[in-house]
Amino acid sequence: MGTIDIPISSLALSFLLLLIPIVISIALRLSILRSLLYSATRMAIQLVLIGFFLKYLFEYNNPLVNLLWLGVMLTTAVFTAIKSSTIKISKIFLPVFVSFTISTLTVIFYLNTVVIDLQNIFDARYLIVLSGMLLGNSLRGNIVGIAAFYKNIRKDIKAYLYRLALGASEYEALLPYMRQSIELALKPTLAAMATMGIVALPGMMTGVLLGGASPALAIKYQIMIMIAISVSTIMSIVLTILMTIRICFDKSGMLKQSVFSNASIHD
Amino acid sequence: MIKFEKIHLIFGRVPVIEDLSLNIKAKEKVVLFGRSGSGKSSLFSMLLGFVKPDKGRILFNGKVLDDETVWQVRREAVYVDQDISLGNTTASELIDSVSKLKANSHLVFSKDKIHGLLEDFGLSPSVLDKHLPTLSGGERQRIAIIITLLLERKVFLLDEVTSSLDEHLKKKVVDYFANRDDITCLISSHDPQWYNNDSIKVFNVEEKRWEQ
Repeated sequence: MGTIDIPISSLALSFLLLLIPIVISIALRLSILRSLLYSATRMAIQLVLIGFFLKYLFEYNNPLVNLLWLGVMLTTAVFTAIKSSTIKISKIFLPVFVSFTISTLTVIFYLNTVVIDLQNIFDARYLIVLSGMLLGNSLRGNIVGIAAFYKNIRKDIKAYLYRLALGASEYEALLPYMRQSIELALKPTLAAMATMGIVALPGMMTGVLLGGASPALAIKYQIMIMIAISVSTIMSIVLTILMTIRICFDKSGMLKQSVFSNASIHD
Repeated sequence: MIKFEKIHLIFGRVPVIEDLSLNIKAKEKVVLFGRSGSGKSSLFSMLLGFVKPDKGRILFNGKVLDDETVWQVRREAVYVDQDISLGNTTASELIDSVSKLKANSHLVFSKDKIHGLLEDFGLSPSVLDKHLPTLSGGERQRIAIIITLLLERKVFLLDEVTSSLDEHLKKKVVDYFANRDDITCLISSHDPQWYNNDSIKVFNVEEKRWEQ
């Protein structure tokens, strides 16, 4: 019960569907027409390239190469996460990289050794694919969380200073902001988890099902990955905040304005 | 107790404070006099380490202020700001969160004590269950003052803490701080009640001298 192959010519037909949003964009004069075409083209090219790449990666299946590729994935995720915050990349690249690496690898190696019980825990089909799902999903949470954490402190700096003036340690004064941003970052993951299967048939399941596996197996993988995503999201957001605090605040507990890319408080 | 030595402070290119020296001895009460923008609030910010002077130094209890010693000021002095941002919690939640800070863990905020202070400052106990943004400016100011008193510290930094109170309450707050002979106070205010009290010395920030 293999998956039906789609010939390239037929795949091109799926692009015809884009005519609908194109017509809507023109009729309503939406400003998204250009970015729709740009994103669709870029997505197609990227996936074709990654398709070839993954094919060789899976065939070659060298632990070192697999880990190297995981490094590339992590680096890209870190850049994306920092870029959407107001902090300069050069200042916090390393701590965020360490945080993402720890939280992804801990969960992945736990899955590969304890849960799936792989012979080769560096197997590309598991290491790369599962890490990709973890990173892709925890990235969204991290983007929301880091940005909200620093934005709220800068917006509400008086409340932070007031807590310091009452004798709070830096950690104590930052705790309310940490709570806020961690909860905010986790909300989408928790909501997705709660509606799983009813509202959405998630990517992992679709993939395993199309790959010809039974729904029972697909569901087992999906349950495992959802738990893994929530764990790595909360781990990475907490680690990222704790590690960037060391860099973004000086010894007297003041925010260093030099780490921010925009001087203004409002973004 | 608190010593400002030849302080210069510049915001952007505008000098806010130029060559200001001020020595406040233990148990003295000093009110800073000067128009808005003369740097009164900046003196508080510098003492708490929120802003660093461009020149000069500050001593607290004989120790020069730096990144390490500011934490001691924040534990030993207590600061109340005019438009303090107290967050969107109820008054009792705020008091509770302050009591849970490690630096305050030796204190017990008993219900009797809190209710006694509420009564002293003309607030009813029902105010504790109200969310802070729903309180009036004067009520919030009094909650902030009550929190500083619960902390039982010996140095008070009071920045416009009576601005939203009525005449009667202004006098009450001024008298309370002026009559306590075990505390040091640095005050900034436009309210005349602070200036007409024999126990409170007046320092002119613009002229950089004591008023007689």
